[in-house]
Amino acid sequence: MPESSQSGVRRREFLKILGASGAATAAIGCSSDRVEKLIPYLNHPDETVPGVSNYYASTCRECSAGCGVLLETRDGRTFKLEGNPAHPLNRGALCARGQSAVQGLYNPDRYRGPMIRKGDALQPATWDQALQLLRQKLDGLGGGAAGAVFLNKHETGSFPAFLDAWLAAHGIPAHLSHDAFADQAVIAANRQSYGVAWPSLDFGAARLIVSFGADFLDGWGASVTHQLDFADARAKLEGAPRFVYIGPRRSLTGLNADQWIACTPGTELAIANALRGQGSIDDAAHAAGVDPAVLRALQQEIGAAKPSLVLAGGGTPDGTELALAVNALNQQLGNVGRTVLPDRPITSFEGIASDAEIGDAIERMRAGQVPLLMVRGVNPAFTFPKSARVAEAIAKVPFKVSFSSYPDETSEMCDLVLPDHHPIESWGDAQPMADVMSLQQPGMDPVYDTRQTADVLLALAKGNPRAGAQFAAPNYMRWLIDRFPGGTAAFTTALEKGVASGSLAAKPAARPAVKVSRPAAPVGQGSGDFFLVVYPSPVLGEHGANKPWLQELPDPVTKICWQSWVEVNTETAKRLGIDSGDILTVETAQGKVTAPAYVYMGIAPNTVALAFGQGHTAYGRYAKGVGVNPAELLPTGFDPRSGALAWTATKAKIAKTGAFLPLVTTEGSSRQHGRGIARAVAVEELGQLPEKRHEEMPGDASHEYLPGLRSPLASDATGELGSSTKRKEEGMYDPGHWSGMAKRRWAMTIDLARCTGCSACVTACYAENNIPTVGAAFQSTATAQYEGQAGGNIIKGREMNWIRLERYWEGGEDGGAFEARFVPMLCQHCGNAPCEPVCPVYATYHSPDGLNVQVYNRCVGTRYCSNNCPYKVRYFNWFGYGEPARPQYAWPERMSWQLNPDVTVRGKGVMEKCTFCLQRIREAEHRARAEGREVQPNEFTTACAQACPSKAIVFGDAADEQWSVAKLAQDRRAYHVFHEELNTFPAVVYLQKVNHPAPAAPAGA
Amino acid sequence: MATVAKPTARVDLGPNLPAANVQLPAVRNYQQVNDDIIATLRPTKAWFAGLSVAILCLLIGATAWTYQIYMGLGVAGYAPPVMWGVYIVTFVFWVGIGHAGTLISAILYLFRAGFRTTIYRCAEAMTVFAVMTAGLFPILHLGRPWKFFYLIPYPNWRLIWPQFKSPLVWDVFAILTYLTVSTTFLYIGLVPDLAALRDRETHPVRKKIYGMLSLGWRNSDREWRHFARAYLFLAAFSTPLVLSVHSVVSFDFAMSLVPGWHATLFAPYFVAGAIFSGIGMVFTIGIPLRKYFNLKHIITLNDLDAAAKLCLFTSLVVGLAYLTEFQIAWMSGNDFEQEYFWNRLFGQWAWSAWIMLICNMVLPLSLFSQKLRRNPAWLFILSIFINIGMWFERFVIVIPSLSHEFEPWQWSSYAPTWVDYAILAGSFGWFSMWFLLFIKQLPVIAIAEVKEIIPPKLRRAHPHADHIDTAGRHMDYEPDTPGEYA
Repeated sequence: MPESSQSGVRRREFLKILGASGAATAAIGCSSDRVEKLIPYLNHPDETVPGVSNYYASTCRECSAGCGVLLETRDGRTFKLEGNPAHPLNRGALCARGQSAVQGLYNPDRYRGPMIRKGDALQPATWDQALQLLRQKLDGLGGGAAGAVFLNKHETGSFPAFLDAWLAAHGIPAHLSHDAFADQAVIAANRQSYGVAWPSLDFGAARLIVSFGADFLDGWGASVTHQLDFADARAKLEGAPRFVYIGPRRSLTGLNADQWIACTPGTELAIANALRGQGSIDDAAHAAGVDPAVLRALQQEIGAAKPSLVLAGGGTPDGTELALAVNALNQQLGNVGRTVLPDRPITSFEGIASDAEIGDAIERMRAGQVPLLMVRGVNPAFTFPKSARVAEAIAKVPFKVSFSSYPDETSEMCDLVLPDHHPIESWGDAQPMADVMSLQQPGMDPVYDTRQTADVLLALAKGNPRAGAQFAAPNYMRWLIDRFPGGTAAFTTALEKGVASGSLAAKPAARPAVKVSRPAAPVGQGSGDFFLVVYPSPVLGEHGANKPWLQELPDPVTKICWQSWVEVNTETAKRLGIDSGDILTVETAQGKVTAPAYVYMGIAPNTVALAFGQGHTAYGRYAKGVGVNPAELLPTGFDPRSGALAWTATKAKIAKTGAFLPLVTTEGSSRQHGRGIARAVAVEELGQLPEKRHEEMPGDASHEYLPGLRSPLASDATGELGSSTKRKEEGMYDPGHWSGMAKRRWAMTIDLARCTGCSACVTACYAENNIPTVGAAFQSTATAQYEGQAGGNIIKGREMNWIRLERYWEGGEDGGAFEARFVPMLCQHCGNAPCEPVCPVYATYHSPDGLNVQVYNRCVGTRYCSNNCPYKVRYFNWFGYGEPARPQYAWPERMSWQLNPDVTVRGKGVMEKCTFCLQRIREAEHRARAEGREVQPNEFTTACAQACPSKAIVFGDAADEQWSVAKLAQDRRAYHVFHEELNTFPAVVYLQKVNHPAPAAPAGA
Repeated sequence: MATVAKPTARVDLGPNLPAANVQLPAVRNYQQVNDDIIATLRPTKAWFAGLSVAILCLLIGATAWTYQIYMGLGVAGYAPPVMWGVYIVTFVFWVGIGHAGTLISAILYLFRAGFRTTIYRCAEAMTVFAVMTAGLFPILHLGRPWKFFYLIPYPNWRLIWPQFKSPLVWDVFAILTYLTVSTTFLYIGLVPDLAALRDRETHPVRKKIYGMLSLGWRNSDREWRHFARAYLFLAAFSTPLVLSVHSVVSFDFAMSLVPGWHATLFAPYFVAGAIFSGIGMVFTIGIPLRKYFNLKHIITLNDLDAAAKLCLFTSLVVGLAYLTEFQIAWMSGNDFEQEYFWNRLFGQWAWSAWIMLICNMVLPLSLFSQKLRRNPAWLFILSIFINIGMWFERFVIVIPSLSHEFEPWQWSSYAPTWVDYAILAGSFGWFSMWFLLFIKQLPVIAIAEVKEIIPPKLRRAHPHADHIDTAGRHMDYEPDTPGEYA
């Protein structure tokens, strides 16, 4: 024996070698990706704990409003924006555009550094070269400085004053503060009526809301604020205001109205005047194409409902007059001071320049009077009507400087690009309300070699003898702190909250009276059968087209994404033989665009509409070549009173080209077919709803239907810890288990009386859960029929929206009144889930706390679960969206920095779906356990509920009475979708929408 | 003397299923059976050409699959919520094809239906290759096909087993069982024939292989006794599989709650459909074989006539099932169901439903005519329609149901892409490749069994030739048909 063991390898040794080499082979063989090293910090940065998020309070700069945000930052990267609950404007909510700011930050098409034009192309340069060039040009201006123009995106706070001071030091006139989508007509009228640009609006106090095209849910004004207030008002149910919308096109706001009065474009003023007793109702009704009885009833109702709230939206050449008439009407009805509150103004629009001023500057460029143009954050070459020939005018400027971060149409024409930091990388402040300072701080180090414009200006001032002393601060942060009341200490304290009372900057000087050189002609000029309504896209806004989340977010009204469309009335379409998807040309005297038709009940028969926001010829891979720009069609004319561009002004011809393109829509059937998915109840019938029985609700204490399909491992998971045999069998499914998991029932209520269909929840979900966008043109590669077409994957229904906003039509088949019902649809986490037993590999099962769990690693992709899901809320990874080597890769260079580190990026070929933000649930539980306490009621919520600007979504533990969700689930209006038919025991409870029919209910209204 | 007369008009036109002894009036003796059948094994140019086409199709399919694995399933036509597409349609199609083979070889054997003898080998081979083809599709259609083994219950330290409630797991068992049993059955039936091939083979290597495969068959009485037992046992074992396998496949649909799938009718409906489609495929394969292999005297019109009757019967069953589905939807009072079935007939998928109804319900009614039943050309044409119709039956079941489910917001459409078509073509290539290889390596007609139905060749000197029956057994035998031995 000893001899034999000496010869050769011994058994033990052999096994060791076998084990070691096997492990090595496995370790090497299994890692398909490159080997990365984990290097610990040598000097640990302050505040950074690996795996734990920091939240930096800052200000959202995606539109002019200036909502407060919290930048969720981990290990030096900001990956999510959440609403700042302490901020008075948005109170913790955040719209889709705000959510998408991170996609601007990590946008793959951002300028990497300064660029200098050499010949036809912009070439990368160093900052020294770039600054030197600009300094040289500034010095060389001499007397021409007075002709130089600085176009800045509109913002409030101290930067505008800083900029003006800097410009003045260089002999350049004050900058023009531009926001293409701000309602300048209303701002001008408010200034005239109340002395403020934007009064607060108290929707809750009103008994009746009448909107003349004021789309306060589509981005009009401070849209998150208005939406919060509106939803709160509607949540009063019996005491809620009725809402009447007057306009040629039913926008998202219009769809939330109880009554839509479709008028001919341009007749709003006549109606408003008639309602306040100036002019005859019959004449107005006749001009507007409305039944006079409807207007009379409305007049009566306005008279009776006190207080009411009447709103006007611009867009027409007489927008200011309309707004003034409406202000007068409010005055007359005694609404000012009750629902219209000029003494608590929203100051987000103070200091804004009118479109006419920008237009004049452009004319001066054309005349060769502008030696230097500086542009920051605005894109007039895209937003201005093509008839204004902006590009041609800009080309005449000898030296053009852009501070844009993105290669947009305007900056592509410039000679020097000094890319600005993204707001998430910048210091600053905003003044959203008179006494509220909203501070802006960077969440992280800059992604690219960019510089904050204010810092660039400071650096330029250093070498300038006239400006040097005034701009001695080393950087803009220091400049801000130096001016902050209380200095560094107070500033630091204020930063923690993100808001402080008071004001950093002086109130902007009143803008000079508007002198309009090119007044717009009244509505209805031009040849053609149809009035053309151009409205700002509520989803994309002015700058959203390069953000795939926004491109992929279906328009709340039409449910179309990655595309432009022409809205045509149903009757008109029938008359002209137009179907949705038929390619139409829309032609005005100014130009022509080609886009597919969308046949829509919610537009006046004599009107066609196009959304503004698509049709970029530059602006990066996501925007370029997608859709058409209605600016091609518009005449250049300004409202003579406010200088606002008249968007609804001209008539258009439409013609079929004979081609057809499927609409890139997420809508299947727009009708419920009586299936009770989105239910509504008239306000009078609220009292007749039966009380809910406890056992119908997800919080059923007995947990009778809980859990559905148990984990195969649960029995063993805690076998040693459980004492009794029963516990060993049930594991964590035993309510007596120490984890207490089985005592919980995570559930959600969605109040359809609050939900406006804005879809902020959808984008929040994309941001939180690393959901890939699939619609970009390059992602449609290999999608046979739609090769290379933007939205190709979405035409095939492959969008990945874990939560989607369904918009069902009710009524209107005969051309009469119709209603829109919005219903957010997500995984219902059924107690008796049809998806669970059909999965052959146990990739989906029920967790003890009531979640329907999807195990990505186990999933082999049979997709049977999706077939068996009645709600169709499971989404499959058709391509390797997470694989950089594939054309469908959803996060090209730097976009991947946005990914939430708490959530797996799903691989090709697996199913995924809403998890009820499992990572947040577990984080809260772990935090509570670490702190030795129970999870507090309403301690945390899901991403969708958190973002919701209507507060319609409430998440929590329905088995615990202390959570709000448990009470809401017992509401009389509560119902489940498909539960009666399919016995699914969903954890999502919908509360019925409440409709407010017209009091007299005039027929045809 | 046991010679056989020329075919008579009476035998040709007469009703089918006479006494087994007169099945093949045109076959003279055992030697001719051996010669004629083994003669089919000589490769020809046409065969090489056919095989090349089959392999080309297979390669196209394989390339498409490789591309699909690399890019993801999105290259196929899936349009959610249509999460199952052409692959599942084709899977059910091929499983169905298999069933006729087992029916013919096993069930009809138990029922002593004489006409099965000449076509059973072809049908059984078809079964094995069809199941081999079908078995690929559940893997092809997986999102992560490299993880297909998760569906197999193998012991592992994570204690994770497949979900035995899922019909897809039942499928795995059903298909594997079916493949095993039908392969065994085919092989057992082949043993005496392999021995016959071995005995004629001159090439030493081939002779060795045939020798091994024939398990040293020596044609002894004892071997025949065991053989008959084994054959009978396997036939009995296969018989319930004909019913159970396709029932399990139907459960993939029936166990779900999808409108259009969720029906208790599905198991018998699928079984009847499977047999129907399988007989269609038997015609598609058998009629050209009969012609090009010069086997008209072995596969007689009587056999085709009998098979056509079976085809007609199953067509009627399938038609009844179609109508029952509509009736149940109509009487269910279930909106989802009613709306779906209305949509099936008159909505976006009407074209496919009508293809199905015409091919499977209407055209086979022609088989009520005996003239058409005995017309191989018509049977061949009809069989093509049946193949198409039955593929569309599965299409109608899988795709319109998924595209028109509970949630109207998610109603959708579906269109296959070139990858779907390439893989579909590849499946035909794969099947044809195996079948073509089979027909030139192994006898496509069971030599031994055909010999059972012709009179034995007897030595003149045999003392009591008249007392040996067709199976070679001595017995006192009175021919019941005058002229039978004429």
